[in-house]
Amino acid sequence: MANFLTTYLQSNFPYLRAKKMKINQESHSTHISQKFNQELEEIRSQLLEMGGLVEQQIHDAIQSLTEGDTQLAKAVCEKDQEVNQLQLDIDEQCTKILARRQPAASDLRLVLVVIRATADLERIGDESSKVAKATLKLAEEGSSPRGYIEARHLGNLVRKMVQDALNAFARFDTAQALAVLHEDKNVDLEYQSATRSLVTFMMEDPRAISQVMNIMWVLRSLERVGDHASNLAEYVIYLVEGQDVRYTKTEVIEAAIGQNKSSKK
Amino acid sequence: MQISLKDWVRSGSPWIWLSASAVAISVVLVLGLLGIVASRGLVHFWPATLQEYTYTQDQDLQIQVLGEQVQREEVTAEQIRNSGIAVPEGVDLLGRQLIKVGNRDVYGSDFRWALENQLSNLDYPAYATSFERREQGNFYGFILAIKDKDQLVAEQEKGSNQLWPAVVERIEQTRLIQDQIEDLEKGAIGAINYQLEQLRLDERRLELKGEDTPENLAELQAKRASFQTDYALLETELRALYQSLATSSLIVVTADGQSKEINFSKIVRAYQPNNMSLGQKISHYFAKLWEFVSDDPREANTEGGIFPAIFGTVMMVLIMSVLVTPFGVVTAVYLREYARQGFITRVIRIAVNNLASVPSIVYGVFGLGFFVYFIGGNLDKIFYPEAAPAPTFGTPGLLWASLTLALLTLPVVIVATEEGLSRIPRSVREGSLALGATKLETLWRIIIPMASPAMMTGVILAVARAAGEVAPLMLVGVVKLAPNLPMDMNAPFLHLERKFMHLGFHIYDVGFQSPNVEAARPLVYATALMLVVVIAVLNLTAITLRNRLREKYRALDM
Amino acid sequence: MNNARNNNTSAPAIKMADLGRNTQQMNLAQETTSIDVQKMNLYYGKSQALKDITLQIPKQRVTAFIGPSGCGKSTLLRSFNRMNDLVDGVSIDGEVIIDNQNIYAKGVDVADLRRRVGMVFQKPNPFPKSIYENVAYGLRIQGINNKRLLDETVEWALKSAALWEETKDRLHESALGMSGGQQQRLVIARTIAIKPEILLLDEPASALDPISTLKIEELIHNLKDKFTIIIVTHNMQQAARVSDYTAFMYLGKVIEFDNTDKLFTNPSQKQTEDYITGRYG
Repeated sequence: MANFLTTYLQSNFPYLRAKKMKINQESHSTHISQKFNQELEEIRSQLLEMGGLVEQQIHDAIQSLTEGDTQLAKAVCEKDQEVNQLQLDIDEQCTKILARRQPAASDLRLVLVVIRATADLERIGDESSKVAKATLKLAEEGSSPRGYIEARHLGNLVRKMVQDALNAFARFDTAQALAVLHEDKNVDLEYQSATRSLVTFMMEDPRAISQVMNIMWVLRSLERVGDHASNLAEYVIYLVEGQDVRYTKTEVIEAAIGQNKSSKK
Repeated sequence: MQISLKDWVRSGSPWIWLSASAVAISVVLVLGLLGIVASRGLVHFWPATLQEYTYTQDQDLQIQVLGEQVQREEVTAEQIRNSGIAVPEGVDLLGRQLIKVGNRDVYGSDFRWALENQLSNLDYPAYATSFERREQGNFYGFILAIKDKDQLVAEQEKGSNQLWPAVVERIEQTRLIQDQIEDLEKGAIGAINYQLEQLRLDERRLELKGEDTPENLAELQAKRASFQTDYALLETELRALYQSLATSSLIVVTADGQSKEINFSKIVRAYQPNNMSLGQKISHYFAKLWEFVSDDPREANTEGGIFPAIFGTVMMVLIMSVLVTPFGVVTAVYLREYARQGFITRVIRIAVNNLASVPSIVYGVFGLGFFVYFIGGNLDKIFYPEAAPAPTFGTPGLLWASLTLALLTLPVVIVATEEGLSRIPRSVREGSLALGATKLETLWRIIIPMASPAMMTGVILAVARAAGEVAPLMLVGVVKLAPNLPMDMNAPFLHLERKFMHLGFHIYDVGFQSPNVEAARPLVYATALMLVVVIAVLNLTAITLRNRLREKYRALDM
Repeated sequence: MNNARNNNTSAPAIKMADLGRNTQQMNLAQETTSIDVQKMNLYYGKSQALKDITLQIPKQRVTAFIGPSGCGKSTLLRSFNRMNDLVDGVSIDGEVIIDNQNIYAKGVDVADLRRRVGMVFQKPNPFPKSIYENVAYGLRIQGINNKRLLDETVEWALKSAALWEETKDRLHESALGMSGGQQQRLVIARTIAIKPEILLLDEPASALDPISTLKIEELIHNLKDKFTIIIVTHNMQQAARVSDYTAFMYLGKVIEFDNTDKLFTNPSQKQTEDYITGRYG
């Protein structure tokens, strides 16, 4: 479809090629209506603020786990309320914009992406507090003999993914978003190898099963965070390219974007 | 709160007051004009009381005077003395009366001025009688006797009124006979004369064509013979009627005792104003008014009615409208819808607008030169050679007068129609065209109906202008006395070549060309009023029509 | 131009269009063409109002023209039934092909063309006649005076224009007594009464209130099975609501012509994007 149109348009309107559109971070501040600019800027920055909060939550949760800091773990659980509230605020803002501005094209995509992204960020927050709760449980039931290193490693990976996805969103950077999608595969591999080694350990030492299971849940949560981060990356691609790439293989996305880019040159 | 003069001026109210007073003055002027015309004209038909005086001209010459007081004025004694009439010392102002004494055949003049100090013994004799006569104006006097075939039939003393019913009855009988005579003359005999004239023209036509074979001629001769038989019969009848009229007459006496014999056939109407009740006076008034609008004029237009003039005016205006409307509308439609807008159309528009300001007499001259002599003359040569040398269309007539006025009012119709066409919203035209209508269909089904109120406005303005126009008509068809109406029962019923009478010209003729100006003055006012009424009726008809159209084709507010 | 083609043909085989569910969308390439505009230029005197327009309007679909004032969208619409002929000094080159015939060729019967390509204008323009006569006008122009046929067609047209229920008891009253929205639907009824193939709507709802506007839009939706509809509108949301395809015009050119869903979520031209998101200064 798109290719047909590109061919069609470019063969008939050669003069159009030079003006081929490109969305960047400036795109949403060039409306005639300054108020509209402000509103869009506001949901964007609020989303990034929410992202920052969530990122901090993951960081704190991992730290509390590895250092057995129950104080920090409690703080992480409390912070989740703040994140939830922020999601409600941003969603309300977006609803208002949809109702009053009836945005189209990239504006519409931005609002949609923000709505979807808040859901994912909220889920990331939830997963972080699950990790924090595991810390508290481990402190109660006694620490696990194994798994902290894997958890910290996986935690840092997914935290980096969330950070990159948010950066990609802030800069409208599809390349970085693609990198996040690739990173998700690494995370999956890491998760599988960690669970495999923990399962082996449990089979060897059944007494530690309940403690290790806590760590297993932590790993599971962190893996989920990675999935949510790759969702965020897909939204960035949808926002910039206008193509919904959910449930699509990364190679296909990469090839399509690469091809699209070459035609834009 | 005080408002300074400066503020008041700045507020704009002075201009409102100024325009309001201008409107007020215009209204007062128009109403005043109508008031004067109406009062002077309408009073004429009221049966005025007859006054009898003793008029002392010298000490040894005293005469009785009977008449209507027409006018009264105050003059200075000095003025009277200068004209050689003795006025007693100490009197500065004197009343002077204009008395209509009638009896022109006795006194030589209908009116007489009299100083009030020479009048005495004012009296209103109950049996003083007014006679309206067919000739010589009114007669005021007393009934003395009725005479039949040189035999006195009845007599009465002066001061008694026993003959009055008999007189009224005889006048009524005479009138019936006269109506019969008129019917015969204008109806049957008129028709026969017309047919005979047509036969003569037929014969001449045959002659010119070289087809005057004995058979054809014989046929014509047979027709003519039959008409002449009819004519002879009618003529005998007519002669009998005339004889029955001539026999009886009335002997009357004037106030100063001169007796006079008046044939009943010469009397139109007799009445005793001093002896009439209010009801009788009112019915007399309306009878006179009806006579005025429905009868032919008598005595060089100074008596009788003005029906032919009303008829002629209306006829001319109608024919003019029929001629000018299509012509003006077609012109405007072409100019607005078809012509390429540019220099030439602009020049044509300017020319049309300027035509409206050309003096009307110029149109008269043009009509006479172009329509009457050129077109009419050529028409005669081509179509009516049998009538030569008498012109048919080559002489002023109704058609040419209507055409000239149509030309005169054409700019008004064109301008008004163009205005109407330009006000039709473009979207309506496009709507019609977008449905697959051609330009002509759009014009015919949508635009012309929607512009019709504007066209009617044009016609209204044209009618108003045409009905009041006199100058050009004098050259192209109006006469002071037309023998026939332009419409009668002889085919083709409408005779466009005939000359006609016109109210405007009638006013001019009666007012300025009449031998008896004083007697005719009230008629001038009455005729003027009639002209105004005719124009108003014509305009109101057109306005009603226009309002109806407007309601029907009320344009969208766009 | 050659470069662009080469670029595309040598590109990898995987395309954006292959992604996800996008293949389900309406596709211009699969439509039957109703109006084929080929390299059309239109001049008002010396100034060029339409520049090199090439466009295929799909049959029995609603196509919207959007663009800023003066971009030539109404002019383009009016060139489909030669309404521009009424304006002095208009000259046109290129071709507009309807039913395999260039409507600007010599000897084309313009009245017949306008019967096939009906048009509704910005402001309701009913004739100062009765409702019935308004609808029957086009038929009477064609010389149809059969009472039964007229009655049937008037009823059909009014029903199609969703006006029958409101007007059936006052068919012989003046059309000028109706409300603006009713008048506009009457005008649509009047236009479809002559059963055109193509219906041109020139900002048909711009003078109406929102409810009347919605009624007109609903009407457009119901009529698109029978007619090819082209609508010019200033109201982008309206274009988005009613049309299947949208063309964005700017300065006398067609900048982008695409599926409406695509154009309003992911236009491929920056000018289109700027216009539909309100970025024009």
